[in-house]
Amino acid sequence: MNLAVNLSWRFWSLLSAVILLAICLTHPTLPLKRPVFRYLFVIDITQSMNASDYHQAGLPADRLGFVKASIRQALDKLPCGSEVGLGLFTTRNSQVLFEPIEVCGHFPLIADVLDHIDWRMAWAADSHIARGVYTALRETAARGGDTRLVFFSDGQQFPPEPDFPPFDGKPGAISGLLVGVGGSLPVPIPRLDKENRPLGFWEYVDLRDYLPLSAMPKDGSSLYLSRLDEQALTRLSATTGLGYLRLETPESLTRALLARNLTTERIVAVDIRWMLASLALLLLLQRFQPQRVT
Amino acid sequence: MSLAFAQPWALLLGLLAVIPLFKRGQPTLAYSSLARLPEDPLSLWIDWSLRVLASLGLLLLALGIAEPYLREQWVEKIGTGAHIVLVVDRSSSMNENFSGTYLGGTAHETKSVLAAKLLAEFVDRRGQDFFAVVAFSAAPIYVLPLTQDHEAVRSAVLALGGRGHGITNIAPGLAMALAHFSAQPVTGSRIVLLVSDGAARMEPETADALRQQFQDHQASLYWIYLRNPKGGKLAEAPKNPNESTTPEYYLHQYFQSLGVPYQAFEADNTLALQEAITKVETLENHPLKYRQKLPRQDMSGICYGAALVCLLALLAGQILEVNT
Repeated sequence: MNLAVNLSWRFWSLLSAVILLAICLTHPTLPLKRPVFRYLFVIDITQSMNASDYHQAGLPADRLGFVKASIRQALDKLPCGSEVGLGLFTTRNSQVLFEPIEVCGHFPLIADVLDHIDWRMAWAADSHIARGVYTALRETAARGGDTRLVFFSDGQQFPPEPDFPPFDGKPGAISGLLVGVGGSLPVPIPRLDKENRPLGFWEYVDLRDYLPLSAMPKDGSSLYLSRLDEQALTRLSATTGLGYLRLETPESLTRALLARNLTTERIVAVDIRWMLASLALLLLLQRFQPQRVT
Repeated sequence: MSLAFAQPWALLLGLLAVIPLFKRGQPTLAYSSLARLPEDPLSLWIDWSLRVLASLGLLLLALGIAEPYLREQWVEKIGTGAHIVLVVDRSSSMNENFSGTYLGGTAHETKSVLAAKLLAEFVDRRGQDFFAVVAFSAAPIYVLPLTQDHEAVRSAVLALGGRGHGITNIAPGLAMALAHFSAQPVTGSRIVLLVSDGAARMEPETADALRQQFQDHQASLYWIYLRNPKGGKLAEAPKNPNESTTPEYYLHQYFQSLGVPYQAFEADNTLALQEAITKVETLENHPLKYRQKLPRQDMSGICYGAALVCLLALLAGQILEVNT
């Protein structure tokens, strides 16, 4: 009697394993809500971003290069199903290169485009940072409410202006990050020709036609220096409602980009065959468990 | 052809496949005088085949859970498979409509929005082609390298509809477009599809260098010129020729001197633009051999199918078991 019960139990477990496997062949998926991210990365490509103030082994020293390397590392860590678009900022405007696309499936392409971002793509040379952030916010808003803006800049305004233009959006309507790039100590800005060959550094003499008289040095210093203008960026962060992060290591960017408050939920069709197959495997193993001698 | 696993750790589960070789999957029957029974080769054979089946079943399940797949692979196909670089004007004049009226920031009928929409449809219809995208105004912008990832191309082409900035400077845009070909073997037609609403003067040295590059890369050029209806036609010599007032006429002359297949299409309204794109499409429909990348193919289904066969055989054996 004991044996008969045992037998039927073995039969049913094998039958269930067979049924589970038969379901597997229909390629079942479950629509599951997954936390993912939808980012528009806008990168400042004005010439001050060529200044070198990062000193980390294996990473570029110039601001733009460091930003690119940091984004590349972060792309790798974003969960599949997340979407990323790239844009550029110079003068008063932000321009989108491509709409956000899924990061895992298009990774090589996104990485290649990121790699090619260059200060020479600038359509003009000025840097009106506040206007750049405002237009980037507009571009982000046009791409749907769950798109987050991540704006990379050293915050340097050129030519200097006494105050930011007024922000006509609603603070916090678009969430995201302002990422401050560069160091606190002023460094010279390399002057490069169209082939990226160094021509020295930018000097006040070269810029005197663009700078107001008040901005010219009185102490006779000649190099036009640049540092991370955190004051400007934190003020912009307060007016726009974007978070602020100082880019110190690529890891800090990755951590900030994976923050919970920036997630959005997407329904992703998850392949569940492996779960069914594992269950079938367990059921099959049951047959070989130690038996009581009857 | 190469095989890889999405979840290689699951292969460790395959070790479980040795269990049936040491343990019996059937309940034992108590029998008083086992030694008296003759050895039965058939029974032994059945016993071993059941064990092997179970072992194989476990192995195949582990393989399936490890998700084997064939890596992306290149296959040769006959089709159009052209390499097309889209060189699209993003200067500020592209924010206007065809009659030259400036439209505000959210306008839906600017030249750039129309061009982006029609180009996206063009890309959708050309499923076998490779596309690269260069945007240009004062400087060229590397938007996408030559790729068959049409979803990405579509996302880049749609982004071209955004607001443009800066002046029109065609030569560097064309140079960047041609550079996209240099890393690629010549496998089919190479096309530079220039979409712009204006032109600019070109330095003689730049013009010569560009001509050389067009010839080196054996690329054809199509120019979709988004013309202001009041503006001059490309083929008609302007009344008072001057390269700074009618640069498009001179650019057209220059393109004709490139020594590569060249055709210009003038469009001064949406319909004409659509027609121009359709014409480019019919021109580049010569079939040729090209290579296409096949996406990775999942192989776990085969493992599950094979495991199912093993389990069904086990189930049959189970049904035939002596029930006491």
